[in-house]
Order: sequence, then structure tokens, then C-alpha cells
Amino acid sequence: MGYSSSLIQRKFKDIVGRRYDSVLKDYSEFLLTDEEMLVPEVRSILVPLDVFVHEITDEAIDVLSAYDATISLAYITDTEVIELLEKALDRESTEEFRTKKEEYGRKLLERVAAKLEEHGFSTQTRMFVGHKGDDVVRMAKNHDMVALCRRYADGESTDVSVSPIVLRICQRVETPALIY
Amino acid sequence: MEAVALIAVAVFLFTYALIIDERIHRAVAAMLGAAIVVFVGIVPWEALLEHVDFGTIFLLLGMMIIVNTARGSGLFEYIAIRTAKLAKGSPIRVLVLFAIVTAIVSAFLDNVTTVLLLTPMLLYVARVMNLNPIPFLVTEIFSSNVGGAATLIGDPPNIMIASSAGLTFNEFIIHLGPIMVVDMVILLLMMYVIYGRSMRVSAEERQELIRTLEGLDERAAITDRSLFNKSVAVIAFVVFLFFIHDRIGEILHVALSFVDPAMGLEPAEVALIGAAILLFWSRQSPEEIFEKIEWPALFFFGGLFVIVGALVETGIISSIAAVMVENVGSTGEAMFIVAWFAAIASAIVDNIPLTAAMIPLIHDMGATMDVYPLWWALALGACLGGNGTAIGASANVVVIGIAEREGIGITFIDFLKVGMLVLFVTVAVGFAMLWLKFAM
Repeated sequence: MGYSSSLIQRKFKDIVGRRYDSVLKDYSEFLLTDEEMLVPEVRSILVPLDVFVHEITDEAIDVLSAYDATISLAYITDTEVIELLEKALDRESTEEFRTKKEEYGRKLLERVAAKLEEHGFSTQTRMFVGHKGDDVVRMAKNHDMVALCRRYADGESTDVSVSPIVLRICQRVETPALIY
Repeated sequence: MEAVALIAVAVFLFTYALIIDERIHRAVAAMLGAAIVVFVGIVPWEALLEHVDFGTIFLLLGMMIIVNTARGSGLFEYIAIRTAKLAKGSPIRVLVLFAIVTAIVSAFLDNVTTVLLLTPMLLYVARVMNLNPIPFLVTEIFSSNVGGAATLIGDPPNIMIASSAGLTFNEFIIHLGPIMVVDMVILLLMMYVIYGRSMRVSAEERQELIRTLEGLDERAAITDRSLFNKSVAVIAFVVFLFFIHDRIGEILHVALSFVDPAMGLEPAEVALIGAAILLFWSRQSPEEIFEKIEWPALFFFGGLFVIVGALVETGIISSIAAVMVENVGSTGEAMFIVAWFAAIASAIVDNIPLTAAMIPLIHDMGATMDVYPLWWALALGACLGGNGTAIGASANVVVIGIAEREGIGITFIDFLKVGMLVLFVTVAVGFAMLWLKFAM
């Protein structure tokens, strides 16, 4: 640092003191930082589905269409539910339940994929039995964004609040998360 | 020269060297210098109270309270966002609007706070436009110094001159206001000629800026709506009082017959009245507001007054004044020397210590000549001289310091090239206007 530069910094410190830091703090409430101004590059978006998610909304599709990304649809059936049924019901009934679930999941995946493809998205689908929270967090590491329905892993309630699992996923994933 | 005079000169020169270099805080340097001249008895206690200009200190104190209280409402951020939005994506409009707003706000509030609060917004706008922010920043500096020169309360040199010479707010508006309007127009033209070519943006970038700024909600900047309204009302009231401060008795006498029509309020009293009203009305915690007062600046002023007082006490100032009076043939010549000396010396020393030293000199010259025009020459030179170098005025240091922190280098030489040009043009135009008024 040259003399003039260090002189300016000395004078700045003496004249301004700590005031600049508080000004920056005030501005940070409503001005975007350099990092925030950069539009993140999003190539793949994970959209988890389950029995509580009936469709992907048009508003969510509008937002997702801002990115030129492949959408991975993942239908997840909860392991714990299957285990409980295995304990409570006979094997035949459990298999019947699982088959019906898989049938519902496949139809939902086909319906959502068709809707997304109508809007020009390329899609991938998969269906598995797992943990609705942990598995989404794990899979999110391989995607640039996660789009979560607010009722994912929640229930059939008409309450508009966000499901606790969705909130926990948002807290744990490092990628940007969109709640629709 | 007597020993005490030598000590006074040595302390003066040493302290001013410390202030220029700033390795020691300027307030500490000034207090140390003052302590030495008090300790050796050059400035006894009674004289110390005479030399410290409490008019200046209390005016600064009152305005600091008002500004720091108003700041908590988000007023300045609101002004910055509104200004950016008005530009409608045009870089030239951003430059012109921010220059005008900076000049107007600097004319009524202190320059440091003005640029401290407007610069982050200006940097943000330049970043969104993907343009070099330096033209915007240097224009902001010059505008702050030019705008501040227009009024009694705009710049510390004016406050010091007014307090010492007993000049009124309206006299500043009458004598310096028109000069600064002309200088602002010239300044903007100069900035357009120098930087205009580098400010072109594509239609896409322009739209991007408009979109980004439209996304900002200026109302969201207002953190306390009630305080915001009260701050605006009190600032407007204080500015109104400044306009009538010397005739307040006349006006009040009409409604309140017991008020002496000859009564006037000192500018410092106006500022302190405004501060008291705002503190009372807003119910802000006085502890928090008083903590934000720039006490080092006030002690810096106090120390400077004592050090210069030592030169007065030892007869140094009167000797220099006598030499000047002997060698100048006319008021115009004296104005020329004062304005240009103040301008060039301000660029080197910083205009506050320069003005502190020049004021008693002009007072002494008043024994043999009419010094009224010289006050305006001094105000012109000291305020606009600050534009000359990166360290010429506090606003320069603040903006360049912020730029450096944000990774934008404005070198001393780069600033000097533009700053000296602005200094010579604006002082020459201002001096010509003063000359026509007082020396023709």
C-alpha cells in the first residue's frame, strides 16, 4: 500500500470511525450483495413428490422455466409406513398396499412429467421407498435446486402452512430451494 | 522573535504537519498542540475561553444531534433510492441527479454524513449498470464541496467564518448561493465532457438497471415512519429558522409584544433548538444519540482554536496581517490573495485547519481595511479549494476511503488531475463573480 493510500485510510478511519459499518448494515437490509446479484446457474432441479402432492402448480412451472434445466421427479414412499404396515397387516395386504402406492406414484409421475414436457422441460423420473426428508437432502447434493410442494410429506389438511419436513429440508440443503 | 512566539509557531507547524500526516488522530494532535501552548502559559485560561469559538462547536453539535436522530429513520436511504429510481436507467441522469441531490443535502447537512450515506447507493447503481464508478464518485465529491459552500451550515469553513465574523445565513445565500449554482452547472458540464463517453450502456443494461431499481422499495428503507416524518418536519423548521435567525425578534414581536424586536438568534442556537425539539418530539434515547456525536471532531476544532489562539496571543497573526495590509493595494487585490491562497492551501492542509488560521488574520486586517469581501473570498477559497486533492476536504477522504474498501482505486494523482482542474475553474468563476460584486 502506497503512502497516499495509507494516508487516505488513516484519515478515513479518523473522520468516519465506525459509522461506515453501520451504514453498510442499514443498506444490507434492502440492497443485494454481489453474490446475490449473480443469477445462479441451474442445470438440474429436483422435485420430490409423494402421496400428498397432487400436481405441480402453474406458478411453480413459471418460476422453473426461468432456468434451462432438467427436472428430476422423485416419488418417495415412506419406509416407516411400509414397515408399520408389515407389522400390522399380513404380507398379502402389505403387498397390495405397496402395489396400489406404486400405481398411484407412477401415474402421478407420468402426469407431472407430461405437464412439464408440455412446457419444454426435459424430465427424469424415479420412484423408491425411502426417507422423505433425509433422501431429499442427500439427492439435493447432485442437483442445483430443489422445488418442494408445501404439502410434501405433510397430510391432507387444507391448512396453507408449510409442512415441517419441507422446512427441515430447506434448513439442511445447501442448494437454493423453492417452495410452491 | 521572542521565545514564546517561536514556541507558538513551532507548535502550530508541528501540529499541522501531524494533521496532514494523520499518523496520530487529528483530534489528539490538536489537543496535544493546545495542551503545550496552555502548559507554557502562551494561552492563559481566560484567553482560551475567548479563542475557542463556541458558536462553531455548538452549531456542529446541534446539527450532529439532528442528523444522527434523523438517520435512524432511514431518511437518507430513502433519498438515495428515490434519486436512483428517478434516473430511469440513464447513467448520465444518475450522475446529474446524484450530483444535484448531494449538493442540496450538503448545503443543509454536513458533507461527511451526506456522502457517507449516498455513496453505497451510488456504488450499487454503478455496479448494476456495469460501469466504472469513479466518474460518479468524483462528481459526488465535487458536488458535496460545491453544495456545502453555498450556505452557512453547509461546510465547516463557512460555519467557522460565520461564527467568527457574525455573518448571517441569508448573507451566505445571497453572496455564495448564486456562485455555487453557476459552479454546479459548470462542474456538471466538465464531468460530462471528461466522462460522458465512458457512460454509455446498452438498452439491455439500461432495462436491467430499471428492473433492479424498481425492485427496491424506498418505503422499506424507512425503518421508523413516525421518526421519519418528525425528522423531515424538524429539519424543515430548522432551515426555516436559519433563514430568519437574525430577524426572529422582529417576527416574534408582532405576536408576542414582550419579545425585543432587536433580538436575533445565533446559528448555533438555532441548531441546538432544533436538536432539543427533535429529541423531545421523537422520544429517541438521548444516550444513544449522544453516543453517535462525533466528539473527536469537536475536540479537533477546540484544539485548533487554541493553537491558532497562541499565534494571536504572541502577535504572529497581527504581524502577518500588517505585512499583508502593507503589500496589498486594493480590496480586490486582497480578495485575490485570500481566495487563491485559501484555495491552494486548503488542498494541501485540509480546509478546516486552514480556515482556523486565516480567520484571525482577516480580523487583524480589519483594523485598517474593509474585510467584509475578504470573508467571502476566504469561504470561496477554503470550500472549493477542498476539491483540489484527495485530502483537501473530509468528503473527499470519505468517498475515496469507501471506494478503496470496495476495491475501487482512485489514486492520489488521478484525483489531483481532475480535482485541480475543478478547483481552478470553480474558484476562478466564483472569484470573478465576487470581484464584480465587491471590487468593481
